[in-house]
Amino acid sequence: MIRASSATVHFPGTRMVMGAVCVLAAWQGLAAATTGALLVAGPLEVINHIAENAGLYARAVGVTLSSAAWGFLLGNLAAVVLAALAILRPRAQGVISGLALLTFCLPLVATGPILRVVFGPGEGPQITLAALAVYYTTYISVLVGLRAVPATWLDLVTSYGRGRGTALWRVQAYAALPYLVSGLQIAAPAAILGALVGEFTGAERGLGVLTLQAMRDLDVTATWAIASLAAVLSIMLHAGIGWIANRVLNEEPPLILAPPVARGKPNYSRSGAATGALTALIALSLWWGIAEISQLSSFFFKRPDDVWVFLVSSDTAAQNRAELTASGLETARALLPGYFAGLGAGAGLAILLTLVPGLSSVAMPIAIALRAAPIVTTAPLLVLVVGRGAVGSAVLVAVMVFFPVLIACLHGLSRAPGQVLDVMDSYAAGRWRTLIYARLPAMLPAFFGAARMTVPAAVLAVTVVEWLATGRGLGALMALSASLSNYGMLWSVTLVVAVSAVAGYAAVARLERAVLSVFASEQVQ
Amino acid sequence: MAPDRAPPPDIVCRALDKRFGDVEVLAPFDVTFEAGKTTALVGPSGCGKSTLLRLIAGLDTADSGELSIGGQTADAVRGAGGLAIAFQDASLLPWRTARGNVALAQRLARQPVDRVAIDALLNRVGLTGFLDTRPGALSGGMRQRAAIARCLITRPRLLLLDEPFGAVDELTRRQLGLELPPLWRSEGTTTVMVTHSVTEAIFLSDRILVLSPRPARVLEDVEVRLGHPRASEMMEQAEFIDAFKTVTAALERGEAQRQNALAAQ
Ligand SMILES: Nc1ncnc2c1ncn2[C@@H]1O[C@H](COP(=O)(O)OP(=O)(O)O)[C@@H](O)[C@H]1O
Ligand SMILES: [Mg+2]
Repeated sequence: MIRASSATVHFPGTRMVMGAVCVLAAWQGLAAATTGALLVAGPLEVINHIAENAGLYARAVGVTLSSAAWGFLLGNLAAVVLAALAILRPRAQGVISGLALLTFCLPLVATGPILRVVFGPGEGPQITLAALAVYYTTYISVLVGLRAVPATWLDLVTSYGRGRGTALWRVQAYAALPYLVSGLQIAAPAAILGALVGEFTGAERGLGVLTLQAMRDLDVTATWAIASLAAVLSIMLHAGIGWIANRVLNEEPPLILAPPVARGKPNYSRSGAATGALTALIALSLWWGIAEISQLSSFFFKRPDDVWVFLVSSDTAAQNRAELTASGLETARALLPGYFAGLGAGAGLAILLTLVPGLSSVAMPIAIALRAAPIVTTAPLLVLVVGRGAVGSAVLVAVMVFFPVLIACLHGLSRAPGQVLDVMDSYAAGRWRTLIYARLPAMLPAFFGAARMTVPAAVLAVTVVEWLATGRGLGALMALSASLSNYGMLWSVTLVVAVSAVAGYAAVARLERAVLSVFASEQVQ
Repeated sequence: MAPDRAPPPDIVCRALDKRFGDVEVLAPFDVTFEAGKTTALVGPSGCGKSTLLRLIAGLDTADSGELSIGGQTADAVRGAGGLAIAFQDASLLPWRTARGNVALAQRLARQPVDRVAIDALLNRVGLTGFLDTRPGALSGGMRQRAAIARCLITRPRLLLLDEPFGAVDELTRRQLGLELPPLWRSEGTTTVMVTHSVTEAIFLSDRILVLSPRPARVLEDVEVRLGHPRASEMMEQAEFIDAFKTVTAALERGEAQRQNALAAQ
């Protein structure tokens, strides 16, 4: 679909270079300031280190990229098929989305070791985890795209007596392409992250294996080198997909923040609670079904009733619950402050940047690029800097939440309708009053969308840091249970983490609906 | 008229009722649109004209009442590719060229794509030189011409036009209003057209229904006694002026009734 006209391809080149230079300079400065502390390796040192071990790193990057690519392909394929199904069967949309979210909320820290047992050595777990890491964001992007079609385009198809399938194929598929691209852009770094976590679970080769080695050897330079490589790869893939899409579609991919929250009463008859119950029922049946069909040993592949026995009816149930609760509280102490700090910092900085004209347009591309960096791979670095306490985990969670929220809020703040801003101007309302009356209300939907979507990301971040670095909380409990073959505990923690993440998501969605119905009622779709 | 095509249907609406929540749009609405004729619907905005067209096209369903299209349901007519509707906005697909948008209609109507006919039709509606242009690069008037070509290419028996020239300047509008109707008249098509312009209604139609403010009722049923094809000069004819006066007076009556109803509240 290459257009004949040679429209200029908008690419924030200069700004990106400026941003990159700033980041590199700050980094080198930090390294210079902390020499001797064995915490920070500067960019020059890192480049030297990589050049000296070029062969090693090239092979590792190749292995990780290959796993990530397979996962990317399979995960996105699944996402597109799921989204198409959800559009063709609108009544099933709630359940499909619910199952997709639940699967996405399964903690990689637990699914990794379980997959390792299922697959044995090889690339299986890496590919599966990469696929699991990408499919949800792509599913959401494509679904938003498929639904963002003007109603008359669908009426056109109906007026010729054709059905949903034709509409999907002839109209919605094309209309959703830019949204798909935007989903793929987010998916590329996520696939690398998934592959890395898969490699942490006992692979033979790849960047993840090198990360574990560097951490064990307390090799600061290597740790920084690997994190930099992963970040550069992710940013390049993100930019590369955007560039290709730009050439092919001749259109800027839209910035997708989150699917809109459903209005209190959606047009299909089932209520939210009924959809939730149905989703839970189907999830349990699937769990059971897979266990029965796959004939996997019940020693490590636990069924729902095994978890029930472990947590409720066995002799040691009380003790098991106590252990789980203690770890859960430890995790919550890092997760909640980090999550709220990330939300606050993201929204706050966005507002600040908007008050200084011109600054936000510089900050936006930098933030988008940094969002692509697999932040979890910086966990070892962060622990080097802030230590093994809850603070380290909280900071990482905050960073993980910060970027999506910043981007969403910048986007939202810039979206106040032009006429509204003109009206404010005509009353000579200053910056502050414009902010309060026009821009903040426009920011709210974006802010809440991001707050919702970052719940699973925050849970992922906290469990991975606890596992890799701090050795506390549910992340550590999962890792320990896996290595001790305490599969009852592993499956119980997995279930608790996934259900809590879904509950957190639902709670934010409920708050979002309440706030938006007051402050931005037209935005509640 | 082509031999392989069923004759145009009449449309019979009996006691149609349609409401959106608390808003009564049609309450009960009775009218018959004659087969093979062009009927214009004129009325204040928000009175329910688009809603009526959507009901006829089967894109919405009435809460009660009967609607038959040549004795069939809207679904049956649509399924046979016998219906075409032009929406208030042109609703062209932005990733398809003018040609591609017209071709899509044939695909959707399960007709073979006839490139020669498509090009000929696009040239006839005045898009020569813009056949391979995408909607984004067409002017508002060009888009509406392409939308009309998209409607006509499937040779529908029933043509529904919702303010087809809404986004066009007055001069182009007059020109299109004279050039295009012969294209569908020659096929023998039942046409229902919504317009805000009384002049346009008279130029394009055989009959004008003036609708009241919501809920829509027929305030005046005006037959247009002008020959075909229509021409600009007809504006001077007594028949034209009579029709203009009757329609305008009915519109003013409707507005006065609305004001009275408001004052009574
Ligand atoms: N999908 C809908 N939901 C709610 N109200 C609607 C809908 N479609 C139309 N209406 C209302 O019905 C009335 C008639 O609308 P419409 O038929 O579009 O009027 P018009 O005569 O201007 O074409 C208006 O008051 C409009 O607000
Ligand atoms: Mg209308």
